[in-house]
Amino acid sequence: MPESPHPATTHTRRTVLKSTAVAAAGATLVPAPAVAASSVPAAAPTTAGGVAEAMEITLSVNGRKHAVTVEPRVTLLDALRERLALTGTKKGCDRGECGACTVLVDGERIKSCLTLAVMRQGSAITTVEGLADGDRLHPVQEAFIRRDAFQCGGCTPGQIMSAVACIREGHTGSEEEIRQWMSGNICRCACYQNIVAAVADAAREVRG
Amino acid sequence: MTGLVGRPVARVDGRVKVTGAARYPADDPVPGALHGFLVTSEVAKGEVTDIDTSAALAHPGVVAVLTHRDMPRLTVPPFPYLKGFIPMQDTAIHHVGQPVAIVVANTVEQAHEAAALVAVRYRAERPRVVIDDAAGPPHLPPPFRNRPNEIKRGDAAAALARAEVRVEARCSSATRHHNPIEPHATTAQWDGDRLTLHETAQGVNLTKGTIAAVFALPVENVRVVAPYLGGGFGAKGPLWSHTIINAAAARVLRRPIRLVLSRAQMYTMAGHRSEFRQHIRLGATRAGKLTAILDTTTAQLSNTDEAIFNASESARLLYDCPNVHVRQEGVRLDVATSSYMRSPETTAHFGLETALDELSWALDMDPVELRRRNHTEFNQETGQRFGSKHLLKCYDMASQAFGWSQRKRKPGATKDGDEYVGWGMATEMHTFGAMPSNASVTVGVDGKVVLRTATQDIGTGTYTIISQIVADAMGVPLDVIQAHIGDTALPVAGLSAASATIASVSGPVDRAARAARDAVVGLAVADERSPLFGVPADEVETRHGHLIHSRNHQRRDSYRAVVSRAGEPVEATGSGPNLPGLSYGVVFVEVRVHARLGSVRVTRVVTAHDIGRVMNRRTARGQVIGGVTWGIGHALMEHTVYDRNSGRVVNPNLSTYLVPVCADAPPALEALFVDEPDPGSTALGARGFGETPITGVPAAIGNAIYHATGRRVRDLPITQDKLL
Ligand code: FES
Ligand code: FES
Repeated sequence: MPESPHPATTHTRRTVLKSTAVAAAGATLVPAPAVAASSVPAAAPTTAGGVAEAMEITLSVNGRKHAVTVEPRVTLLDALRERLALTGTKKGCDRGECGACTVLVDGERIKSCLTLAVMRQGSAITTVEGLADGDRLHPVQEAFIRRDAFQCGGCTPGQIMSAVACIREGHTGSEEEIRQWMSGNICRCACYQNIVAAVADAAREVRG
Repeated sequence: MTGLVGRPVARVDGRVKVTGAARYPADDPVPGALHGFLVTSEVAKGEVTDIDTSAALAHPGVVAVLTHRDMPRLTVPPFPYLKGFIPMQDTAIHHVGQPVAIVVANTVEQAHEAAALVAVRYRAERPRVVIDDAAGPPHLPPPFRNRPNEIKRGDAAAALARAEVRVEARCSSATRHHNPIEPHATTAQWDGDRLTLHETAQGVNLTKGTIAAVFALPVENVRVVAPYLGGGFGAKGPLWSHTIINAAAARVLRRPIRLVLSRAQMYTMAGHRSEFRQHIRLGATRAGKLTAILDTTTAQLSNTDEAIFNASESARLLYDCPNVHVRQEGVRLDVATSSYMRSPETTAHFGLETALDELSWALDMDPVELRRRNHTEFNQETGQRFGSKHLLKCYDMASQAFGWSQRKRKPGATKDGDEYVGWGMATEMHTFGAMPSNASVTVGVDGKVVLRTATQDIGTGTYTIISQIVADAMGVPLDVIQAHIGDTALPVAGLSAASATIASVSGPVDRAARAARDAVVGLAVADERSPLFGVPADEVETRHGHLIHSRNHQRRDSYRAVVSRAGEPVEATGSGPNLPGLSYGVVFVEVRVHARLGSVRVTRVVTAHDIGRVMNRRTARGQVIGGVTWGIGHALMEHTVYDRNSGRVVNPNLSTYLVPVCADAPPALEALFVDEPDPGSTALGARGFGETPITGVPAAIGNAIYHATGRRVRDLPITQDKLL
C-alpha cells in the first residue's frame, strides 16, 4: 500500500483551501482545518488526479448477483467488506501475507486482498457467509466448533474457506499434509493443532 | 447444579464466529462514516518543518487533511496512556511512524492514496534506536505504577562471592511485535459532547476513562463498544494515539470517521516488547540450593516515557533464595513506546531458566531435581505461606507423561537421521491481575436469561465461561443464556489483560446469577398460583430451568412460568472482591536440530499447570497450545529489525517478521492440569492463566537445543545462523 509521505509536490490542480467550510466543533477552539473544496461522493465517476473512473460491475457472491460501483483499484476484499457489507471476510494485512481474507472464487481459494473486484466479474465468489445451508452449518464449520479450532475468531473465516478448498484439493491425506497446506493462513492465537484436527475431521466427513 | 463449570463446554460464540456473523469493531456499520488514514513520520528524530496537503486535498473524495496546525489542543491522559505525548500537537518528532497528519476521505482507497500525496518536510537528526547505540550507560528509571525497578533481599553480592558454585550468563532478546490478526480499528462518532467509539479495546472501561480525559469530557459522555476482538495480546490494552487523533478529527469535521491501522503502522503505533539485555548470576551450594540471584536487565525505552514492562518477577518470586538483587535498567532511544505484550516477564524469565539449566550441568544434577530443591511454599517477599501451590505435582505429572527419566545426561548424544534430538524443560510462572467488576443478570418473562458485564472476550473464552457460571448458579441450560459484554453501557468491569478476566468477573457474575435465582425462587414461593407456594426458599432446588421442591419433586415450577406470571423481568446485580495471584506450571519440549542447516523443529511438548480450578478444559487448553506456539515464535523466529541509520523498522509485515504458522506448531502437545480449586480464589476456585503457558517455553527450547547439540545460545531468537 502507498505509505510514503514523500511524493512529488507539484499537484496543484483543483487545490483549494476553503478554511471556513467546517467550524470548530463543540467548545474546543481550534484553527480551521484544511478541507477539500468539493468532496466527491464515493461512487462518482472521476478522472481527476489520474484516478480511473469508477464503474458499475456485477459480482456474484454466495449465489446472489450484486451490482456494485467501484473504482478499478478496489480490491475484492474491500468490495465485499465496504460495498456489500459482507464483513465476515477479514482484513489482516492487505498484502497477501495472513490469509484472513481468503474466499473461494470458482471453488479455488484466493486471497481477496490480492485481487481486484473488477477482475472477478463473472466468477462465482463464496465467502464465509455463504457456506452454511440455511441453519445447517458446513461440515468444516461444525468441525471448527467441535475441535475448538479458533479463539478470537479473527482468522477463522479465512481458515474455514481455506480448509474447504484444502479438502477439495485433496491435500488432507495426513496431518503433516494438512499442516503444510494450511500454512498460508496465520492464526496468531495459534490454534493450529485444533485447526489440523478440525480439517482432518471435516475431510473424513466430506470425502467419506 | 448442572455442573457445567469445569466441563469442556464448546464455545458459545462458536456459531457467530464460524459464520462470519460476529461483528468486530471494524465491521460495525456506522452510517455516514468517513475513512481516515494516517500519514506517519519517516524520520525518527527532529521536527516537521513543512506539510503540503494541497495534492492530497485535491484528490477526489478527500474531505480534509488535518495536521498539527489544525488539531485541537488535547490533554495527555495518565496511565494507561503510555505514550507520554500526543502526536500532532506540535512539530516535534520522537520516533519513526509517529502520526503527522490524518487524511479523511469518502472511501478507504481515497484516504490511502491521498495520504501518499501529503508532502512532509523534516529537519532530521541522526537517531539512536538500538541498545548498542545508546548515548550513555543504562539508568534506573523511577518506579512505574509504584513498582520500583530495584529490589534487594538479603546481600546477594556477598552471597555470590561466598557461593560454592557460580553461574553467569548474558542474554539478549530482540524487539517483538504483538501482531494480533485484527489490526487496530477505531470509529469515532460524536453527538455534541458525547462520543461513541467502536474500538478494538481489551478494556472498554479503561479506554472510556482515558479518552474522556483527553477531551476533558465527563466520563459518562463516552461509550466504548467492542463485542468481539480479533486478538489483542496486550496491544489493545492501553489507548494509543491513533484513536485520539481520529476522534479529534471526527469532532472537528462533525462526521463519524473510521480508521484502521495498516499492518505496517502496527509496528510503530501500538506498543511492542522491548529489545532486552540481561546479565544474570546465580550462586548455589554443591547440593544445588540457590544462595544468590543477581539479575540486571536493560530495556529499550522511548524518549517520551520510561516504563519497563519486562519485569524480573520470577527472579524475585519463583524460587527459595534469601539473597536477591534485581535491577531493571533502561536506555532512552528514538523508538516508539513499548508496552505489555503477552507474558511480559517471558523475556527476563528466559535468563533465569537458562542459567538454572547451566547450573544443573555444572552440578551434574537433573534440572527438574534442581528446581525441586529450590521449590518454596512461601511468598519470598511477604513471607506468607501460599494457600495453594501444586508446582511439585506439575513436575511429577509432566515429567512422567514426557518420559523425562529416559533423558540422556549428555549433550549431543542422540541423532535421528540428519537431526540432533534434545530435551529441555523450564518452570513457568505468571502473576495475574484482578480488577473490580460488576455484573447483572435478568430473567425475562420468556424465561431467557441475559447476563451483562462490560468485560471482553479477546479469544480466551470469556463468553463461554461466564455463561457456564450463570448456568450452574441458576440451574438453567446454556442455551437460554445470552451474555452481553464489551460495551461500557453494561455494568462496569475490568480490562482483559494481565490474565485478569476470569479472576475479575467470575465472582460478580456468580453472585448476580445467584441473586437472580433467589429472587425468582422468592417470587415462586410467595405466589399462590405456584406449585411451590409456601415452600421454604431454602428447600427449592433449581435444575434445567426448573424450580423443584427438594423433598417432593412433584412440586415444581419453572423460571419462565414464575417470571411470566410476575409480568416483568427479574434483575439482580453482583459485584465483589477480586484478588490477583500467581499461576504455575512446567513445560517439557523435544527439539530436532538439523545438523547442517541449523533449523530447529519443536516436535513434542508436554505441559502441566496449576491454575486452581480449571473452568473449561477446552478453552484452557487453547491458551496452552497458543502459548506454547507463542513461545516458539519468541524462541526461534520473531524479531523486529531496525535500520540503525534511519530508525525505521525494516520488516513491518508478516512475510519478513515471521510468526509461527501451522507447520511450525508442535504436532504432539499434551496439556495437563492439576485442577485443584484454590481456596483463596475469589473466582470460584480459579486463577488467571492465559499468559502462564508461554513463560518457560523459550528457555525450555534453548535448554533442549543445548541438550541436542551442546551449543548454548543465549540470544533470542535462535535463528538458523546461530546454530551453523
Ligand atoms: S488480508 Fe489478505 S492475506 Fe492478509
Ligand atoms: S483465532 Fe485468533 S487469530 Fe486465529
